[in-house]
Amino acid sequence: MHTSLLIIGGGLSGLAAAIRLARFNPDVLILEKHSRVGGLNSWYYRHNSLFETGLHAITNFAPPEDKNAPLNRLFRQLKLRRKDFDFHEQLASEICFTNQETLRFSNDFDLLLHEISSKFPGCTSQFIRLVETIKEHDPFQTTPFRSARSYLTGTLNNPLLVDMLLCPLMYYGSSVENDMDFNQFVIMFRAIFLEGMFRPHGSIKDFLDRLLNHYQNFGGKIRMQAQVAKIIHQGNKVQGVELTDGEVIECDALLSTIGLEETFACLDTPPLRKTQGVRLGFVESIFRLPADCRESLPTDKTIIFYNSREQLLYQRPQSLVDLASGVICFPANFQSLAPQPHFEIRTTHLANYSSWKSLAGDKTAYNTAKSTIARQSKTTVEKIIGNFTQHVVYEDTFTPLTIERFTAKKEGAIYGCPDKIKDGIIGYDNLFLAGTDQGFLGIVGSMLSGVSIVNQHILSRL
Amino acid sequence: MTRDEIKDLILEIIKDIDEDADFNTLQSDLPLRDQLDLDSMDFLDIVMELRKRHKLQIPEEDYPQLASLSSCVNYLEPLLKNI
Ligand SMILES: Cc1cc2nc3c(=O)[nH]c(=O)nc-3n(C[C@H](O)[C@H](O)[C@H](O)COP(=O)(O)OP(=O)(O)OC[C@H]3O[C@@H](n4cnc5c(N)ncnc54)[C@H](O)[C@@H]3O)c2cc1C
Repeated sequence: MHTSLLIIGGGLSGLAAAIRLARFNPDVLILEKHSRVGGLNSWYYRHNSLFETGLHAITNFAPPEDKNAPLNRLFRQLKLRRKDFDFHEQLASEICFTNQETLRFSNDFDLLLHEISSKFPGCTSQFIRLVETIKEHDPFQTTPFRSARSYLTGTLNNPLLVDMLLCPLMYYGSSVENDMDFNQFVIMFRAIFLEGMFRPHGSIKDFLDRLLNHYQNFGGKIRMQAQVAKIIHQGNKVQGVELTDGEVIECDALLSTIGLEETFACLDTPPLRKTQGVRLGFVESIFRLPADCRESLPTDKTIIFYNSREQLLYQRPQSLVDLASGVICFPANFQSLAPQPHFEIRTTHLANYSSWKSLAGDKTAYNTAKSTIARQSKTTVEKIIGNFTQHVVYEDTFTPLTIERFTAKKEGAIYGCPDKIKDGIIGYDNLFLAGTDQGFLGIVGSMLSGVSIVNQHILSRL
Repeated sequence: MTRDEIKDLILEIIKDIDEDADFNTLQSDLPLRDQLDLDSMDFLDIVMELRKRHKLQIPEEDYPQLASLSSCVNYLEPLLKNI
């Protein structure tokens, strides 16, 4: 079999890249190893109801009339009518450093500005200047890593405020321990603080179904349960791929969205370079509760980013998880959602892949660890949001091993390797990298990654 | 294609990219980009649509020739004369 354009991975970056290509040439094929699309942001069914695997909130909110906003540009590039999508904006979120300070923010940037001027009055003018810099900076240039933390420490001169601003931005978009690249900081600051957060109407499945339908309407094709085992190439020219069942599919150009090392593992030449640094793992728990106990918990907060240490540690913990900081998300707390019989609380904490991996051989020990961690997570966040443990009707926990198993991400690291390949070029004439290891992270980020790598390297070959 | 047909083609492509594009006050000699709020990604779409519809390969160094409506028409006229 031959196809002009082949894409490995049906996650959000692969889907976006595929739509972009199929718009101009329908001879596109996506190969996805799993039985459904979405990758890290997918869904599953338990007890006849749908659970989302990875959706807290989508960043980069923009109203339809704001034509130049990244979200609307993305939709135009994919030829999706933004007006056809119903989005629910967040209520308000919070950065909560227990016993220290709290900062609220929403899709109205003035709230954060107001919070900072009342709680960090000595830093207000520096903060306003920082925001100007962020608005003017071009974060898409490919410059070497520059520490956002050092920059912020220098400009704001307040370690607590630096940690508090970095906390949500790192949790939602840093592959680097305790820091982020300045360009990535600018991207995430705009995405979360200046633009804001929302969720799609319905579930992530509805959103993914629409993307997939749209792609198929352009004539694009997809094969599920099709895992690429090998990329066939002669020197720097890729000829096609071989699936785990031995089938060979030839192509003119190949886009991989499965990660840098994951891609190199399919090639038989030594990698361009080895990635360095620690990959960050996370555990994510979902707790489902009946609607009648909603009132005893926050109903006005969408996401809480918390930290209970004096200093924030965004790094791989020594043990299974680090409960001293994390994210608490209320997927029911977005504007104008219809009432449901149940609602959820989701928690995220940093985790240590190797510690979980050492339990992998012993199913009982692994499951015990999972439920212990879920219990500890509940008691930890109860101190912030109030008691709810006794009402939980269903719960589930994903570890780095779960994520590795379902998405083949090395070490289950959601944000991939720490150093990114911004231009998507990995040393081959017709093979490019998009998605997590290209460097744009999150749902909108990975979709923009797919689109921009296609624009830069593949459209001109059609 | 006549000059008018080429002009309509360009406007039709732009309408397809952005259904809210407003041509009422469009001046042919001024940059499309500023008047219609188009970015470089939208420009790439104009090029790609011309390729898809009329098999035109426009090299990157010629993109500046597509800046305004009248420069588009001037540039495309010889290329589309037999269509
Ligand atoms: C728990 C959790 C919560 C999150 N919350 C949010 C959030 O609230 N907001 C947000 O914006 N982002 C969130 N994210 C991050 C976001 O989901 C990711 O950044 C984004 O989905 C990455 O997309 P991707 O296409 O780059 O990678 P992936 O989704 O990993 O896509 C890669 C695809 O390739 C497939 N694949 C791998 N190997 C092969 C192979 N050999 N052959 C064929 N197919 C293969 C995988 O199955 C996968 O479908 C969350 C992630 C997780 C895990």
